[in-house]
Order: sequence, then structure tokens, then C-alpha cells
Amino acid sequence: MENPNPYIIEMRGITKEFPGIIANDNVTLRLKKGEIHALLGENGAGKSTLMSVLFGLYQPEKGEIYKNGKKVTINSPNDANALGIGMVHQHFKLVEVFSVLDNIILGVEPTAAGFLKKKAARARILELSAKYGLNVDPDALVEDITVGMQQRTEILKMLYRENEVLIFDEPTAVLTPQEIEELMQIMKGLAKEGKSILFISHKLSEIMEVADRCTVLRKGKYVGTVNICDTTKEELSAMMIGRDVKFTVDKDPAEPKEEVLRVEHLSVRSKLHKKNAVNDVSLSVRAGEIVCVAGIDGNGQSEFIAALTGLEKPLPGARILLCGEDVVKKSVRYKNTHGVSHIPEDRHKHGLILDYTLEENLVLQRYFEKDFQKHGFIRFDEVRAYAEDLIGKYDVRSGQGPVTVARSMSGGNQQKAILAREIERKHKLLIAVQPTRGLDVGAIEFIHEQIVRTRDEGAGVLLVSLELDEVMNLSDRILVMYEGEIVGEFDPKTVSVQELGLYMAGAKRQNAKGGEAHEE
Amino acid sequence: MKNRNASGAVRTSFFKRAGTRSVIASLLCILGGLLVGFIVLAALAAFAEDIPFSDAITGILTVLEGPFSGGSGNILFQLGNMLFSSTPLILTGLSVALAFKTGLFNIGAPGQYLMGAMGALLISLSIPTTSVPAWLVWTLAFLGGTALGVLWGAIPGFFKARFNVNEVIVCIMTNWIAANVVSWVFKATDKLFINYAETKMNFIRKTATNGVSTWTLGLDKLFGGSYMDVSIFIAIIIAIVLYIVLNKTTFGYELKACGFNRSASKYAGMNEKRNIILSMAIAGGLAAAGAALWCLNGAQDFKWDTYLSLPADGFNGIPAALLASNNPLGVIFSAIFLKYIGVGGSNLAAQTSFNEYVSPLIVAVIIYFAGFSKLIKELLGRRKREKNIDVRFAPAHDPEQVRRETAEDRPDGENAPGAPPEPDETPTDTDEAPPEPDDRQSGQDETQTESRSAKGGENA
Repeated sequence: MENPNPYIIEMRGITKEFPGIIANDNVTLRLKKGEIHALLGENGAGKSTLMSVLFGLYQPEKGEIYKNGKKVTINSPNDANALGIGMVHQHFKLVEVFSVLDNIILGVEPTAAGFLKKKAARARILELSAKYGLNVDPDALVEDITVGMQQRTEILKMLYRENEVLIFDEPTAVLTPQEIEELMQIMKGLAKEGKSILFISHKLSEIMEVADRCTVLRKGKYVGTVNICDTTKEELSAMMIGRDVKFTVDKDPAEPKEEVLRVEHLSVRSKLHKKNAVNDVSLSVRAGEIVCVAGIDGNGQSEFIAALTGLEKPLPGARILLCGEDVVKKSVRYKNTHGVSHIPEDRHKHGLILDYTLEENLVLQRYFEKDFQKHGFIRFDEVRAYAEDLIGKYDVRSGQGPVTVARSMSGGNQQKAILAREIERKHKLLIAVQPTRGLDVGAIEFIHEQIVRTRDEGAGVLLVSLELDEVMNLSDRILVMYEGEIVGEFDPKTVSVQELGLYMAGAKRQNAKGGEAHEE
Repeated sequence: MKNRNASGAVRTSFFKRAGTRSVIASLLCILGGLLVGFIVLAALAAFAEDIPFSDAITGILTVLEGPFSGGSGNILFQLGNMLFSSTPLILTGLSVALAFKTGLFNIGAPGQYLMGAMGALLISLSIPTTSVPAWLVWTLAFLGGTALGVLWGAIPGFFKARFNVNEVIVCIMTNWIAANVVSWVFKATDKLFINYAETKMNFIRKTATNGVSTWTLGLDKLFGGSYMDVSIFIAIIIAIVLYIVLNKTTFGYELKACGFNRSASKYAGMNEKRNIILSMAIAGGLAAAGAALWCLNGAQDFKWDTYLSLPADGFNGIPAALLASNNPLGVIFSAIFLKYIGVGGSNLAAQTSFNEYVSPLIVAVIIYFAGFSKLIKELLGRRKREKNIDVRFAPAHDPEQVRRETAEDRPDGENAPGAPPEPDETPTDTDEAPPEPDDRQSGQDETQTESRSAKGGENA
């Protein structure tokens, strides 16, 4: 380094290997003081690893880190903190039963003679909160505040520790559109005050909106750094994927036919509070259409799907008609074998048996069928052939093919395996809950294509999604769920994202139809 | 797809296989146990004036040599008794292992064992062989005892499935209920079954007194007049059948699925409640079958006042299962190993200056170390995986894993805390279980090995 440089952080030639894989291969990242620098890449491109190296969670095999031109070694998050590097993890590290104030001072508590001195801390938090427009109540319990506010608590935590370099790991994944907008403003404000921000994302629109520069990683390798003002979404995605990606889903207009699913007066008791988690929901799905239940996470979608598929019991009085037959009292197995395919919300909890191999997982609902079983013995050769067929068709990648343990597969491929399994089973109704959660654009594109294909082949699709892009792109009909009720029905061609957002946040509802947003 | 085929064809070499890792881990644990056992002996020798230090070395070698340390004339005899006494332990080990595979902790094996013993004894002693052929009585007694164990095991299974009551609690209660029920039944029937003839009032008559005893095929004579009979082969066959059921059938597929991930099993349409009950019922049957085989040997004294203590072989099924990483075939070997060390322990007191309280201690230390096998296996796995993982398994591909992956988590896929209710956790938790070894020794002397230790004493 000849001159004093404009970079607050420089990571040069970072190489980090994990057993058998090079997660970061000679990656260089330069963060200017006061900029918002996005780090873009597919799942598994090495973004999180690189940030973990910077935050002291991993030690790189090769490469150096410089702060303000001075070489530093960061062996633990404490070292990182001492250097003024803070990180907001995707899942917040907050003590739920503590107040915001307690969470912020946790670890750096001001004390006098062994007693906490919260007053000064409180004043400082209020001051910081006002300065950056964070608007956090220091006395609220974390468990009582919204996800957005929890995130702002995390930001305050970094500010309280006087961090200058702020790392955000996929900060928008858990937020509503309105909250995302607020976060963008906060980030811009922080940058203006001289904080330097590293922002991990694979959402291009957010990067285009907020970042100054962007470094792209692909498969652990450094692809390049670009100025956001000189680039386009398409260019960024091409850098990230290595090919061009479609952002819109190509599909013909829906041709809805007979009704495959009719739900009447479905209510589910909440496990958390006295109100019903799902309250008197009625809807229908017809063959050849994609009906999307949109809504902010936690508004009863999960409970609704659980009741629909038989994982939970609905309250009495509900009717679930599958092609005209009431299946509300039928078992999960009955529904599975009578035309319901289900891509579950949580692929680890429900979708896969992680300790089973890929092939065992691919016959999870079919192992007892004649094709795969004889006198109670599993026909492993048939299972293998079936698995290989599906793996080929859906391009499920894994280390050892059919015998790979599901746990060792990447999230995208796990999801592809589930998709393959569910779509290949005979079905009249596909229930897909957040089918693309946490996946990168390449995988999303593929999964969307498959969902449209199954629609065109005559299945009804009930999609539950939190991603507005997905809702707008994929669905033929949108239902908004708010606090366990359907509060509106929309045509994606005529409704705006802003309008949907208002319904999702509970600011508006269509009440004209006697409280039920029923189809025409 | 080229990649898949290419890597699909890769055969993991012998040393990288999970099975191999299990074996290596178990052997390392035993080695560690022996080492610590030696340290204990050496420390005792250093502090006690009457014990020469050389005894510590002789002592640990005695334990290591097992039945081969009992003097040249005794080897076959001790071997025979070791194999015979392994039979019930193999079956209780299988019982615990099967339950673990389904995600359940069957600590109720002692109770199931007692019920099995009672069933077998009642039937074998009350049907006169003068009117019914002995082989039929034997078969009825074996099946009857097993059936009673099936019922007994189904109880915790039922409560778990129906009311979500932790099976450990119900198992412990059913253990003591069984202990008291058995005592009560024999007390109430008094002279029908209790052995008054030999002034051994605490024992039930040997089944041989009614002409019922397991076929020996001359094995008893071959093994120096020991108790050896064909029961160990029955146990081995049961282990093989269980292995096939678990790994080759739809039923086994379901049981394991429920054990690994109950939510996903439910999602897949399996009747996870039925599977829980079935798994516990079969586990109960296995433990009971072990007891039945032990009793039906014909020459064994069953101590009927069981309310005083629970049978050691019931609890020792836990270390037997853990040492074998819940593999039914492995249980055969781990059970024999436990008995092998046990014989060595008895010989330790007989042949060195250490008193008889030290031997169970050493045996306990060794068995205790068995609990570490999972940990060691994981450590080995982590090292092995470094060379073994495909490039496409980026460790943190999945942001959901990344999300959970922070300072405390390691980057390798297996440890990414992806699975919500880690099924791995059950066995890990129970790694703490083997404090039982202590019970084992105390209980053992009280219940079933009475005859053996008495006989062993004569020979020593």
C-alpha cells in the first residue's frame, strides 16, 4: 500500500476451504468508507462464508484482511467487534424475554460496583435511535415487538458498540414490503453518517435500489465488482448465474376447469392466543389455475395448510371437498393417495427425512405401493431406478446420486427433490407453500416453470407465498390472508403491489361479500 | 448428469464408510476405558499399602483377557457361561436399539424382562411335562413370556402415542410395577413355584425340575459343563431378523422414518402413533424373550423378590445398544463384549489383591466409556469428511442453514442444525445413561447371576 487508501476494509485473496470444497477461492472485496456495498451471489456462492471470515467466525487458509490499510487478524467475533465490525445475522441473536435495552447492552453492560447502570445506556440508545430514525422503544420486550423492530434492535446493538462496518446478512428475507422500504431508508441514513455497510443479498431489486457498489461471487470465485449506477439487473444476474435469467414467468392465461378443491368454513384454533389462527376460511381451487394465498408470515397460512392437509385438526364445522368428496376426516395417507401433492413450508421439518438417502426420500409417500414393495420388502432396485429417473428429470444434484444422505444436499437441491417427488406423484391438487424460500434465481426459475407445467397439465395449484414477486408473477388469482381471514381477492393483472401490501398489513379489506372473499 | 454418474460410481473406501467408523469409534472407546481403568487400578495400588503396583498391570490384563484369564482349566467353562449369559443381554440390547431407531428411549427393558421371566416361569412350571411334551411346554413358555413383554412394552408406547407422555417416565414406572407384580404373583402362589426343597427360599424352582430346559446339543459339555445351550443362536437369529426388518422392509422404513423425523413421517402419511406403539411393543417382546431364554435354560435360579432391585441385564441393554450404535448385528458383539469384560472383572478379584468391589468399578469405567462412541464417531467423521466431500456440497448452500449457522456451529452439512427435532439428540442425551453399570453389578449378583457367581466361585 503506497498511499493512504479510501478503503475501510480490504479482504485480499481470501481462500477458505471446507472439507472437500473451496467456499472462497481467492476472493477480494474492498469496502469504501461510507458506502453501501452489496455482496451478491447464488446460494452457496460463498457470500456468507466470506462475511463469516470478516466477522471472525472462520479463519481463512489464505488471504489477508486490512482495515484502513493496516493488516489485521480476526480470530473471533470479539476481535471483529474491537475493530468496529458488527453483523446483523439473518436470524436475530436476541433474548426474547429481555427488553430492547437489555438486549442492546448485553455483553457490554455498564456497571458500578457490580450493579447495572442502565440510565446512561438508555439515554444513549434513545439518542442513537432518534439520530438514525430507528424508532425503537427501549423498554419493550423483544418477544412483543415486530420482526422489523427486532432487526432495528440489532442495528442499534451495532451502533451502541460504535461499529463502523455493518454487515447485514440477507436482512430483507423476513420483512414485509413496507418494512423493507423502511430498512432501505435506514441503511441510506447510516451510510450518510459515515458508516460502511456490507449487504448480503440475492435479491437484485433491493441491491439496485440501495447499494452503491456490488461485488458478485459465483461458486466461491470472485466475478467482479461493479458500480450500481453503471449496471442493470440483467447484467448483475448474468454475472451471478453465468447465464441470462428470466425474471418473469412465461405462462399462458389460465383456463380454469372443474373445481378440485373447495374449502368451507375452515377454522383452526391457535396455539398461541385465544383467537383462532384461521377463522372461517372458504376458498376454492379449480383445475388449471394457480391460486395464491398471499400474506405476511404468521397470519394463519401455516395453520391453514396444516388443517387442509390433515397435519392438524380443524375446528368442527369445516368441509374440505377434494373433487367433490369431503376429506376433512380422512387421513394424510388418504389425501396423499387421492390426488393431493404437498410441497411443505419447512423442508427440513416436514419435507425430508434428512438422515435418509435421496432415493429413500423420493419414495416417502410411495414406498408401500406395489411398484416399490413386495410382501412387505422394499424393492430397492425399483426405488433406485425411480430415483435415478427423477434425479435426471429434475436435475437434482448431489454428491453420490440416489444414495446421498439428504442432509448433505444443498437447500436448492433438497427443494428440487421435494418438488420432483410431489409433482411426479399423481395429483389433482398441488399445495405449494413457499416453494422457493431461500433459493436463488436460477432455482426459482426452474421451480416456477415446473409449477406452471403441472397447472397446464390439468392440476389445480394452491400456492402460499410471502414473496410478492412470486405472488404477482405466478398466480392466476390472489387471495390475501390477514389474521387468519381472507380479506381480499385479486386478479394479479389488475392489482398493484402497493395495493396488496395494504391488504396484507390489514389496512384494507374487502368486506362486501359478507365477510367471505369467495370466488365469484 | 455426467457428474452424478461419475460421483455415483465412487465407492467409498473401507475406512471412510460410516459402518467402519462406528467400529473404530467403539474400539477406541474400549481402549480409553481400559486406559482409565488402569489408571484407577494404579491409583488404588499406589494408595493401598497391601496392593503391589504390579497387581494393577495384572489386574487390567485380567479384565482384558476376560474368560481367558480364569486359569487354563476354566477357559471353556467361563467361555460357555459368558456366551450363555450374553443371550439375555443381546436381546435387551436389541430391545433398546430398536426403540432408539424409532426415536424412543426404552429404559423399560428391566420391567419387560421381569414380565418375560414371570411368564416363562409360570407356564413352564405349571404345565406338567408328564402330560404335555416338554418341547411344547418350552415353546409355550417362551412365547407366553414374550407376549407378556409385548404387552408391557406397549404400555409406555400407548401413553407416548396417545397422550404424549414421555416414555422414559412411563418406562420407569412400569419397571417398578413389574418388579412388584412379579414378587406379588410368586408370593401369592407361594409353594406352587417357590423352591422350598433346597432351603433357597428366595428362588423359584428351576424349570428343569419340570423337565423343561433349552436344547443344549451337547454344547454344555463341550464348554466344560457350563450353562451353554442353543439360546444364544436363537438370540443371534432374532438379531439378524431384526436387522432385515429394519433395513429391508416397509415396516422398518416407517419405524426409522418416525425415529428420524416424526413430523415428516406424519406428513408422508405414516401412522406415527401406531408405529410408536408397535416399536415399544416389539422392544418389550425382545427384552422379555431374553428373560425367557435365560429362565428356560433349566438350571437357573430366578430370585422372586424382585421388588428389591431391577435386573441388571435390562439396564445393560442400554450400553449394549449404544456400543453397537443401535445396529442389531452390532448388538450381538457388544453384548458379548460386555459379558466378556464382566467375566474378566470377576477374575480380577479372584486373582489379584484388589477386593471384589473394585472389579465392578473397572467394568463400569469401561462400559461408561462406551457412551462416548457417538462423540468419537462424529469426530472421526469430521476428519474423514474432509477428504470425502463432493465439491458441490457447499457447506452453507442453504441460507436456512446459514441462518442458523453462527459462531457455535460448524460448517459441515451434518452439523448444520438443519433438522428441527434432531433425532440424533435422543441417543446423545442418553449418552449419559450408562451410570447403570453400577446397578448392573449390584443387581446382577442379586438376581440372575447368583448361580453363575456361585459356581464361578467354586472354580476360581
